[in-house]
Amino acid sequence: MGLVARVVEETGIPTVTVSTGRDITALVKPPRSLFVNFPMGNTFGHAKDTAMQTKILREALAFAATATEPGVLVDLPLEWDEAFVYFAGEATPEAIARQLKK
Amino acid sequence: MEPIRYVDALNEKYGSMGFPAYKWSENPTAPWTSLTKPLSECTVAMLVSGGISHCATMPFDPDARNDHRVDAIDPSVPSDEYQIHDSYYDHTDADLDLNCLLPVDRLRELADAGEIGAVAPRHWSGFMGRTYNRSKILGESAPAFADELVADGVDLLIAIPA
Repeated sequence: MGLVARVVEETGIPTVTVSTGRDITALVKPPRSLFVNFPMGNTFGHAKDTAMQTKILREALAFAATATEPGVLVDLPLEWDEAFVYFAGEATPEAIARQLKK
Repeated sequence: MEPIRYVDALNEKYGSMGFPAYKWSENPTAPWTSLTKPLSECTVAMLVSGGISHCATMPFDPDARNDHRVDAIDPSVPSDEYQIHDSYYDHTDADLDLNCLLPVDRLRELADAGEIGAVAPRHWSGFMGRTYNRSKILGESAPAFADELVADGVDLLIAIPA
């Protein structure tokens, strides 16, 4: 995704990436990155938490408007309300078998 | 809490599933295009990579690899008419409310309030993970996608990896 943002930026359209994977985004280095330390899949917060969704969306827009330097990654000062771990996914035998065929 | 170290976690996960070793992209610098208009005049599009498709279309392959599919998302379609198929993140909340991953309703509200100029005619869902043929992304899929944004008069793209 960061790679796509870089290509879009090179085409002449500014981009802002809102990421929940800080280390991956830091490596790929999109033009403007906002890191949200929320679980992957909850980039803009909880379901139905419209206030938080709007807040993070506004932060992304504001960052796009004010950033002046390429490759900067900003940490949004937000904390998820409980500890969370890496989502190991559905590594069922069927899923693994499908992957091995690819 | 400390951010999750996804690179380590995913290397381990993919390795355990028989994937080839994944070479993560690492770039020392980033390209740059200045935003030249105020937000209140910008047409804004969003791109998400979490296996989101309209219920009337084919679901994404939840275990996709090297999938360059990108679907247009019609911003006027109600946000509860989408399905999510992706085995690599927890989309329980996004299944209930798409806006916690792809805030289509929130962006429309900001457009209605005049905070942005307009919502683009199309949002986008695609570029799922586990893409090993990255030269195809850089040389074909991403440039073709960028052309669509140009065609829509997009001034700013919000990219949301999942």
